[in-house]
Amino acid sequence: MSERENTQFLRRSLCIGVFQVCLILILLGRMYYLQIIEGPYYQLLAEGNRIATRPLVPLRGHIYDRKGIPLSHNETSFRVVLLTDKRDELFDTLETLATLIPLTEEEKESALKVVRRKRGLDSVIVKDNLTWAEVSTIELHSSDLPGLSVEVGSARTYPEHLKGAHLLGYVSSPSEQEQEIDPLLTIPGLKVGKGGIEKNFDTRLRGTPGHSAFEVNSQRKVVRELHQNPSLPGEDIHLTIDSELQSYAQEVLSSHDSGAAVVIDIHNGDILAMVSNPSFDPNLFPQGIGHKDWDELRDNPFVPMTNKAISGRYAPGSTVKLFVALAALKAGLIDKDTSIYCPGFVSVGDHKFHCMHSHGSVNVTRAIAESCDVFFYEIGKKMGIDLMSSVFQDLGIGEGGLEGFPQVKKGLVPTKEWKQQNKHQKWTVSDTIMTSIGQGFMLSTPLELSVTMARLLSGKRLTPRLEGKGETSFEDMDYDRSHLDIILEAAQQVANSPNGTAYRNRIFQEGYEMAGKTGTSQVRRITMEQRKAGMTKTHHLAWKFREHGLFVGYAPIHAPRYAIAVVIEHAGGSGSAVQVARDILLKAQLIEKGQ
Amino acid sequence: MIYSQLQKLSQLNWSIIFLIILISAIGWGLLISAAGGDINPWASKQVIRFCVGLIIMLTIALVDLRWWLHFSYLFYGISLVLLVGVEFSGFIGKGAERWIDLTIIQLQPSELMKIALVMALARYFHSQTPPLTLQKLIFPAGLILIPVVLVLRQPDLGTAMILLMVGGGLFFVAGVRLWFFGGAIIAAGASLPILWTFLHDYQKDRILTFFDPSQDALGKGYHITQSKIALGSGGLWGKGFMQGTQASLNFLPEKQTDFIFTLLCEEWGFMGGAFLILLYVGLIVMSYRVVMTTQNSFGRFVAAGMTMTFFLYVFINIAMVMGLLPVVGVPLPLVSYGGTAMLTLLMGFGFLLNVGLHRTLKIPRLSIGLL
Repeated sequence: MSERENTQFLRRSLCIGVFQVCLILILLGRMYYLQIIEGPYYQLLAEGNRIATRPLVPLRGHIYDRKGIPLSHNETSFRVVLLTDKRDELFDTLETLATLIPLTEEEKESALKVVRRKRGLDSVIVKDNLTWAEVSTIELHSSDLPGLSVEVGSARTYPEHLKGAHLLGYVSSPSEQEQEIDPLLTIPGLKVGKGGIEKNFDTRLRGTPGHSAFEVNSQRKVVRELHQNPSLPGEDIHLTIDSELQSYAQEVLSSHDSGAAVVIDIHNGDILAMVSNPSFDPNLFPQGIGHKDWDELRDNPFVPMTNKAISGRYAPGSTVKLFVALAALKAGLIDKDTSIYCPGFVSVGDHKFHCMHSHGSVNVTRAIAESCDVFFYEIGKKMGIDLMSSVFQDLGIGEGGLEGFPQVKKGLVPTKEWKQQNKHQKWTVSDTIMTSIGQGFMLSTPLELSVTMARLLSGKRLTPRLEGKGETSFEDMDYDRSHLDIILEAAQQVANSPNGTAYRNRIFQEGYEMAGKTGTSQVRRITMEQRKAGMTKTHHLAWKFREHGLFVGYAPIHAPRYAIAVVIEHAGGSGSAVQVARDILLKAQLIEKGQ
Repeated sequence: MIYSQLQKLSQLNWSIIFLIILISAIGWGLLISAAGGDINPWASKQVIRFCVGLIIMLTIALVDLRWWLHFSYLFYGISLVLLVGVEFSGFIGKGAERWIDLTIIQLQPSELMKIALVMALARYFHSQTPPLTLQKLIFPAGLILIPVVLVLRQPDLGTAMILLMVGGGLFFVAGVRLWFFGGAIIAAGASLPILWTFLHDYQKDRILTFFDPSQDALGKGYHITQSKIALGSGGLWGKGFMQGTQASLNFLPEKQTDFIFTLLCEEWGFMGGAFLILLYVGLIVMSYRVVMTTQNSFGRFVAAGMTMTFFLYVFINIAMVMGLLPVVGVPLPLVSYGGTAMLTLLMGFGFLLNVGLHRTLKIPRLSIGLL
């Protein structure tokens, strides 16, 4: 071995050695990169591999009335669920289950469908609301039903006598659309509010879901439970509703085909009762409503699914006379004693606007008490639509009220601009005349009307509320107290003077008397032929052509507290609305006195 | 006689033997962890195999080096025949079954060839006088390429890589001119498309997966993705003995064989991984000292070849589990569960220790016959 050979060998070996050192450094560098620099990222991935969670459904908050009476219950229910980490044997298991308890093909298929979609460890509800017999059958055969287990859940129920679907709403499983928007809603067994209070306060009532974390292996079989993060129950909601009055109002109203009523406490805007008739039992919904019940609700001509108290828009009729009179007093067009002669009609151009009969010479008090149209035609013509609409809006018509509550609609106060934009026509004197007696384009909801009454009484810009306690302060409205008193005095005569339009249906008990204003809302104008034939009322027409009956009022007259608005659809006159208001106002006072 | 053997035994490079035992012991610990704290089924068998391998290693170390020089071509010839035998005897099952069963230890001719090739090349370069002309390189190139082609046909990508690179490494230290390597690389590049057709589908997949593992994270990229998660999640100090979630929950594939380094890194972190690499470096440095101090050509070629083989095992395996190389099925030397690779490596170290023992021996450059 020559020296040259030797040095070359050593030099080249050294080269390889250096090369190898470089490669080792690359390995160490890569290791450093993966473990130290990217370490936290891979730790996250490893945890994600290892841990699967199963959500825990929170208990939904309760709904209470103003006296703390619960209006909702969470009742224990049993359901059979499938744990998705055991999905292999699923099909056979369902077949076995079908031999033990009644299980439709639909239920089987939907369970299979949900299981295929899921990747997590959540359970899939196969059948909810099992009977005791079914629970014990399943428990007995549990060894033949791998992956199935009986879980305790909660079912939402409501007091039946309330028929409170409009007010309370109901809960049901979220739709697929809702689940796409909020993935939290995919938690099995979680219900969301649909309609009414349940929807309005849904996020507060719902609570915060928890979860149990499990360690799983690469086949996603559970190895052990790691920890539980319990769910937080939803918030309780305390309503301003008086459930006794609510239930009574519903009962009184249900003696008529279709209608709505709202009672407000004028001191704080508390809604004490808000009913719409016909109603239905919200207990039908949480477990999924049957086809028959659903068809019945949907096809009912009196539209029970609509909450008429807040979304029914009616021409307010003569009830607006209170507001028109206030506007005229405010504008100085009339005073307490200004008299206008009523010949029974007013002519504008070649058109005649009729009154019930010739009232002779009437002042504002008599005009309201006896509901003389001509008086209001005349002052309406004088003040013009601008002033009139501004007072209507001031009093709350077109505001809607109860922002965010499902189905709330706003009334309509027509103006010159509104007509130009929507009808592409100029405002006419006839339009003003029609509006001055609450007909024509004008619309309002029972809730709005009850608010206007409360504002007239309190002189404050009161807003209604469904939740909350204690006094609230509202800003004063810009009306002279003496003007308001003239209006209220007239309203008292409506129900308490023998000539008053509501005198027949007044409250007789001393100290409980009510006041208010009647109204009828024409659905179809009485034709000239019919008028010639002597027809001034519509009660003998087909139901859907009859006029709506309205009453806006308050009680007691000596210390007003309860403001009310009642609409009876197609009543053919205001009498039944007055009767309903009378009964509810009396009841409200009796409840207050503890009787 | 016995006395002289014992004396030779005491003269062996015991620091190398100590490092071998230490690294293997780390492997046993990892196998216990992989089995969830049980010495069965892996650790116990591995210890027995190691003991057998250790005896074989010491036996090889004590035989006179010249004897091995004498028989090196024969050894190569036998290995080649076995390799061809595996190729044609038809007991190749699907994919990776290429064994000859010797009851205690199953023998893989391709493993044997890794030793035999080093021996044969060492003997050839020992007998050549410089300069190494192109004609003189045809024979050793054949020694390398014939088994490479046979192994590729099995197909065993890892072994082929090791044979080729160790062969090339020995060419390099033997003083072959640099332009030769340039030519070889160009030739190899040109033959790459042909080579590709030799590969099985699963091997093609592995190579394609290597270039983009995320494309198929639950399919073919699963191994390497989960391996990187396990390794990365170990952090600096690891999750602790038997606390590796990726391994114990079966996310980590082949955790006791090819991917055992990942298990180490998950449970012992960067520090554990770096410590084992340090031990390997120590062993390689010791081996280089043998290479550098040996005064006969045959011995130092053998030592250099064995060292390179060992290094390649370490590098390819670790680079593979960290996603730097395709998954080619090379175990982590002395640590991965399995008998054949361990036997090869211990035999290799037997020859290295032998060379160390006979480093001062002068062996003339005689032209002995092929046998």
